[in-house]
Amino acid sequence: MAVAEPFVVPRPAWRRPLSLDLRAPRTWSIIGASLFAVMTLIALAAPLLSPHDPLVPVGIPLAAPGHGGFLLGSDSIGRDVLSRCLYGMRASWFAALVVIAGGFLIGGLVGLVAGSSGGWIDNLLMRITDGFLALPAPVLAIAVVASLGPSFTHTLIAVSVVWWPFYARIVRGEISKLAARPHVEAARLAGAGRVRIALRHLLPGALPAAVVTASLDVGNLVLALAGLSFLGLGQSAPAPELGADSARNLSLLLQQWWVPVVPGIAVAVLAVIANVAGDSVRNLIDPE
Amino acid sequence: MSAQLAPEDVLTDEGYAVVATAEDLHVTFRRNGKAIHALRGISLEIRRGEILGLVGESGSGKSVLGLTLLGLHGAGATISGRATVRGRDMVSATDAERRAVRVAHLGAVFQDPMTSLNPTMRVGRQVAEAAGSDEEALRLLRLVGVPEAESRMSAFPHELSGGLRQRVMIAMAVAGNPDLVIADEPTTALDVTVQAQVLRLLRTLRDELGCSVLMITHDLGVAAQIADRVAVMYAGRLAELGESDAVLRSSAHPYTLGLMRSRLTLGVDRTRALPALPGEVPSPAAPQPGCAFSPRCSVAGPDCAETSPEPVEVEPGHHSACLRPLAVVRSTDTVSPVALTARAEPAGIDQDTAALSLRSVVKTFGVGKGFGRKRTLHALRGVSLQVAQGESVALVGESGSGKSTLLRVAAGLETADSGEVELSGGSRPQMVFQDSGASLTPWMTVEQILGERVRDLGRAARAAKVREALSLVGLPAEVGAARATQLSGGQRQRVCLARATIVPPPVLLCDEPTSALDVSLAASVINLIARLRRELGMSVLFVTHDLSVARVVADRIAVMYLGQIVEIGASDRVTSAPLHPYTRSLVSAVPDVGLTPVILPGEPASPLNPPSGCAFHPRCADATESCQDTELGLRLQRVANDDVDRVACINIDLSHVPTPVYITPKGA
Ligand SMILES: Nc1ncnc2c1ncn2[C@@H]1O[C@H](COP(=O)(O)OP(=O)(O)OP(=O)(O)O)[C@@H](O)[C@H]1O
Ligand code: SF4
Ligand code: SF4
Ligand SMILES: [Mg+2]
Repeated sequence: MAVAEPFVVPRPAWRRPLSLDLRAPRTWSIIGASLFAVMTLIALAAPLLSPHDPLVPVGIPLAAPGHGGFLLGSDSIGRDVLSRCLYGMRASWFAALVVIAGGFLIGGLVGLVAGSSGGWIDNLLMRITDGFLALPAPVLAIAVVASLGPSFTHTLIAVSVVWWPFYARIVRGEISKLAARPHVEAARLAGAGRVRIALRHLLPGALPAAVVTASLDVGNLVLALAGLSFLGLGQSAPAPELGADSARNLSLLLQQWWVPVVPGIAVAVLAVIANVAGDSVRNLIDPE
Repeated sequence: MSAQLAPEDVLTDEGYAVVATAEDLHVTFRRNGKAIHALRGISLEIRRGEILGLVGESGSGKSVLGLTLLGLHGAGATISGRATVRGRDMVSATDAERRAVRVAHLGAVFQDPMTSLNPTMRVGRQVAEAAGSDEEALRLLRLVGVPEAESRMSAFPHELSGGLRQRVMIAMAVAGNPDLVIADEPTTALDVTVQAQVLRLLRTLRDELGCSVLMITHDLGVAAQIADRVAVMYAGRLAELGESDAVLRSSAHPYTLGLMRSRLTLGVDRTRALPALPGEVPSPAAPQPGCAFSPRCSVAGPDCAETSPEPVEVEPGHHSACLRPLAVVRSTDTVSPVALTARAEPAGIDQDTAALSLRSVVKTFGVGKGFGRKRTLHALRGVSLQVAQGESVALVGESGSGKSTLLRVAAGLETADSGEVELSGGSRPQMVFQDSGASLTPWMTVEQILGERVRDLGRAARAAKVREALSLVGLPAEVGAARATQLSGGQRQRVCLARATIVPPPVLLCDEPTSALDVSLAASVINLIARLRRELGMSVLFVTHDLSVARVVADRIAVMYLGQIVEIGASDRVTSAPLHPYTRSLVSAVPDVGLTPVILPGEPASPLNPPSGCAFHPRCADATESCQDTELGLRLQRVANDDVDRVACINIDLSHVPTPVYITPKGA
């Protein structure tokens, strides 16, 4: 065809301009996904948002919500429940993000290497991954904490150890599906080496699935970490932590319900926000 | 087309004359907020006991019409008009009613039986479920010609060959004596020899059972082979309808004429550029106020862009939807060959220097899961082939004969177990794949993809080189910014060719590059490959299962059977005066208008267990006692001491080369 027809490249969906059409599902997904950013901002701003220092008693103990200058009441030694919750949410949120980022990086790397090498390397890496996947998280966490001593870092390490294999599995699955496509052979014939093929011709295709999983995972992780902290495997005593705050004050449930219940609600709120945001990210990335 | 029958005739249960109709049927889907008009007002009827061939390029709405008649159009579609089966409207019916009509009156066969058969269930059980009893299932499997039907009853679908699977699907489709069998590209995935068997089977079944068949196909040759009447669709509407002979041999619609003239057959003049319909099928999302064919039509007038033509009877029983009078259409050369340089022999084929030479290449694969049960699959069983500088060689043969494996070994994507692969100059060959979309990295732009081959250049030089490569394959520079999903099939294949030739390779390897394309696109891609080959002085090794394609792209054709070359020779000679019994059956199985195929019996043998002696002997009509001798050691032998023609068969007179019968192209 000597005469070239005019050709206009259509704009990919994710490059379309932002519209504020509230009837379009996409608008809501964008709003939902931005909850991740909003929540992170709140977590960063916890010191500014908190009316009091979460660690020191600032008023009468066990004040009911709305009394004694405490919006959500005070705990048994007169600390502000609201401030403790804000700091606790901050800790949970960042802990969840750290574990996910770690899982994403380690798992992604293992999955990428396994999926793009194939053969015995793949087999070996996936056997190891499955081994980790089979470990029960709480037991492992207790074991780690028992041997290394109780510390928040140790708990995070324990959780990360059981968390990355999910990502390895997902990334490896996507990569080996992609590796079977002729575009990889075409890249080989074009002269691309192993590393280049892995990074340019395989990895970008596995990222959407991994990002979707990660964003749906934040909620799970918030709950899992709260659970461990509830079991006493979290930060040590004075530190504000939602699960532990709730657990330690469980005896007050019938009289001063707000002390154990408000941190519990905070966990639920975090998990719900994370799930809404995660769902929105999924809808944005793969609308089907 | 007006209904020739009163409604009461349609509804009478025994004396019906029309089994199914479409009446001003519109079907619209929504995808990504866009309306996709799959059918834009089509009316036709399927008569009792007839085989109606429904032909058209991809996206013309053939399958949607079939699915709507089956009541399987899905909930997302907006439908107006009617689609009736034995008088019952499948559009307005409830799900339960549709199911009842399907069970009582309809049968369906699809292109890929693997998707319709349950992979975990034995074939016999599946057929019995449709047929009602095991005895009936067995009877049906025998009826559709499944050899050793009893033992096949207990096979799983994956244990059957493609042809046998399709027979099983047909057995299920005719279970319960349906009035209408809807067959959607049932032979597209099959080899020509098996395709001929399956087409024959469908005809026989129609004769014996008296059912009607709606045969959906993109292949005019297939329609010619089997259909009583043919309906040609274009962009969701009917273009032409009539008796097969009338539609295919004295076409009335410019589109049908164009299709017929751009068809590749064994009679095409291979010294000139192939005529190809200009342009592409319109997008189903675009509105069509006038005749959808007008942008590609050489007799179009200004009225065509505004008035949508309705089918009218141009001759008795022959309908065409065109605003021009029949005489005008027929007297105009509707296919102006696209502006491509004529295909001619490349300036120099240098027979003395081989660009690619393969010597006794053997390749096996270990197959089978689990431990210990590994079996050896003999994909290549000693192949020697030389491709001269500037020469084009086609590899043909049925599925599993090892064509792709040979190409992949030549490309270095697969290592031979033994034998030698030698490339002149040592530089890498490039390859073009069948699935052009899948061979482009989806998230990379065309510019980035092409740039992969010239990474050592600077940015600006690279961009210039990419633009140059794109323009060489006839694509505008803007395509560089697009990703594969934003391109049409024809554009993608051009991008693949641009990638292969941005730095011209000594050898271009093509694995069925046109088999996923519509007729008109395939012709222009073939033209393009021919032009690139000549301008860049490349050798081409071209794999195809289609002899008519092989004939026009190649100087020589090599015919493969079960991992060996059984015949090789000049294209014209191989396709018009084949020597080897297998080549002879391949040539005669090519479906074409006005030809009756000779049918090769039997199933392709398995490369897991190649027969002894001449591997073709179980299916060979000329086989003699000695053909199965384990010590036969069959090799390619020179025919009449010439250097071009070789054949591997012990029962052939090698003293002279038969003269090619040049088939004069129609209208030449
Ligand atoms: N990587 C592989 N592992 C196992 N078997 C393979 C592999 N590649 C090819 N085969 C087998 O080798 C045989 C020859 O395959 P090949 O793809 O070369 O055939 P072909 O002639 O190209 O067929 P088609 O027309 O279907 O493309 C087939 O039986 C195929 O299943
Ligand atoms: S109506 Fe016009 S554009 Fe359409 S086929 Fe006839 S002449 Fe061509
Ligand atoms: S060698 Fe025998 S079996 Fe083989 S093709 Fe020739 S005649 Fe047929
Ligand atoms: Mg192949």
